[in-house]
Amino acid sequence: MNDIILKADNIIKYFYEPEKFQVLKGISFEVKKGEFLALVGKSGCGKSTLMYVLSTMDTDYEGSLTIKDTVLTKQSQNELAAFRNENIGFVFQFHYLLPEFSALENVMIPALKLKRYSRAEIEEKAYKNLEMLGLKDQALKRVTKLSGGQQQRVAIARALINDPAVIMGDEPTGNLDTANTQIVFDIFRELARERNQTIIAVTHDDDFAKNCDRIIEMKDGQMV
Amino acid sequence: MFSSINNRISQVHLTSDVKQTIVAMLGVTFGISMYIFMTGFMSGVNDTQADLAFSALAHVRIYNDGPADNSNIARKVFPDDIINVRNAKVIKYTDGIKNSTTILSTLAKQKDITGYTSQVNINVFFKNAGNKVNGIVSGVDVLNEDKVYGSSKHMIQGNWNELKYRSDGLFVGVELARILGLKMNDNVNILTSDGVSHNYKVIGIFRTDVSSVDKTKAYVAINAARQLLGVNQDYVTDIQIDMVDYNNTQPLIDNIKSLIPYKVESWQMGNQQLVAGSSLRDTIARAVSLTILLVAGFGIYNIMNMTINQKIREIAILKAMGFSGSDVTKIFLTQAIIIGILGGCVGMVLGYIISRLVNRVKFEIAGMYHLPMTYYPHNYLLAFAFGLITTFIAGYLPAHKASKIDPVSILRG
Ligand SMILES: Nc1ncnc2c1ncn2[C@@H]1O[C@H](COP(=O)(O)OP(=O)(O)O)[C@@H](O)[C@H]1O
Ligand SMILES: [Mg+2]
Repeated sequence: MNDIILKADNIIKYFYEPEKFQVLKGISFEVKKGEFLALVGKSGCGKSTLMYVLSTMDTDYEGSLTIKDTVLTKQSQNELAAFRNENIGFVFQFHYLLPEFSALENVMIPALKLKRYSRAEIEEKAYKNLEMLGLKDQALKRVTKLSGGQQQRVAIARALINDPAVIMGDEPTGNLDTANTQIVFDIFRELARERNQTIIAVTHDDDFAKNCDRIIEMKDGQMV
Repeated sequence: MFSSINNRISQVHLTSDVKQTIVAMLGVTFGISMYIFMTGFMSGVNDTQADLAFSALAHVRIYNDGPADNSNIARKVFPDDIINVRNAKVIKYTDGIKNSTTILSTLAKQKDITGYTSQVNINVFFKNAGNKVNGIVSGVDVLNEDKVYGSSKHMIQGNWNELKYRSDGLFVGVELARILGLKMNDNVNILTSDGVSHNYKVIGIFRTDVSSVDKTKAYVAINAARQLLGVNQDYVTDIQIDMVDYNNTQPLIDNIKSLIPYKVESWQMGNQQLVAGSSLRDTIARAVSLTILLVAGFGIYNIMNMTINQKIREIAILKAMGFSGSDVTKIFLTQAIIIGILGGCVGMVLGYIISRLVNRVKFEIAGMYHLPMTYYPHNYLLAFAFGLITTFIAGYLPAHKASKIDPVSILRG
């Protein structure tokens, strides 16, 4: 059994604006299934950039990326979109929600797109995820009516809805207080241990990082 | 399909900024209602023109065009030689149509004909006391003439059907009556070019609103006209035919041409100016309304573009969550199509209302009372279809642009 879920091989990326600049300088690493990984490093070292590559959204890089034994490098945008929908849950540094929808609908949308379950099942699951994150009574509110921390938790609930193989977070607890950070950490911990889901989270929180299975540190676009 | 997540997103987009949706919809509504009004009005004008023209004109006419020019018979045998025949003349063999019964039985077998009538038309002088006026006496088959021309509608005095029973009776055009100073029951003398003269009694006066007819024409029963010429019961000068569709006369002409040894002429051949006028009006109506639709299309295009620029982050989020480019196209195209359908339905109703209102504007010329208008369902459907096509195109371009949005470049900030 191959228990490597994600493999990055010599990832190199340049930015061309305002001038040519190498952000990622050949990053290679593997992540095992069910592993809870923390990505740390100084601000500006390229963590977010790497996460966009790993999440398959950014296709403008050199090297190769394999998730779940699927080589994703050079696949078309539409194939990648379908792959993301099913296999990757992403929590952005800034909570990107759809402002015209309720918290519940925001959580449901990726599952309605995937169509693995019926609408009723999806709704039930979305409620459960929101409840887990302490948002049950906010479910029907428009997300614009929620506080920053609440919105961040809605984004986390959304990332979990399709039971993705890999959950990626770019400072997912950045806007949360200690209590909520603890909740999110516990959820991630449980997902990794009990459901064998893989977590890769960028964090500045030392306590958060310390309790992970493994810590990867980046410096100036390289692993240390 | 209707409950799919893409449609749900389209619906939320449309309802979260209702004002913008309504503005976009009104563009379509305006375009379609103007299209309906313009085409309704123009075809109303064309129909009125046709009614007016066809009160004095049949759709197809059969008559004797005169003998073929055989004055240079030698040329037919020796086409390449120089042959000079001095003082050649076209010899008059026949006049009018001699065997009308066989022609009428040929016509009876044709389809697409709604009616036909025989006439004996004679150039005459009308004389009353000292007045002498040049004109035409038309000997008519009373019942069929009314069927083809609706002549009974034009009677302002007297009763059309009475002509059948009065071999000395005559209907006279209103202008002709004025020129000759004729009133009901006056006598009028008629003189043919062969020098035959006969007295008739005025038993009716008509007005067609076509002044050349009202000024020169009189009706008598067809047998009275035959008597005047001294010809037999089979003789007619013209056979006039009315068809189901006056714009489609050619098939009939092609059918009967070889069966009938006389000139078969459609109204289009004899009246190019009417054909030109009506097709010019159609062209103008189409050009104007398509321009309006185009402007409406630009409106939708702009609004959709604006919407997509406003929602660029949301589009990026959708794509980040796994929506494909074609999902995004569908989401925005659905919005455009819904705007098109709603705007189109309201536009058809508004177009109908505008048409009704304009149709009530007084316009009292040439036998009309109000501005003419038609309400053909096919014009409404066409307007709706054009509206939908316009919104589809105007919506597709921005929607396609939206589908190409690269999510990282937006989300990275
Ligand atoms: N869109 C961009 N264009 C050019 N340079 C960028 C862009 N995004 C980030 N950078 C640069 O790339 C480097 C890494 O950025 P980022 O990955 O956001 O760092 P981190 O998330 O570790 O703080 C920084 O120096 C940043 O200025
Ligand atoms: Mg960052």
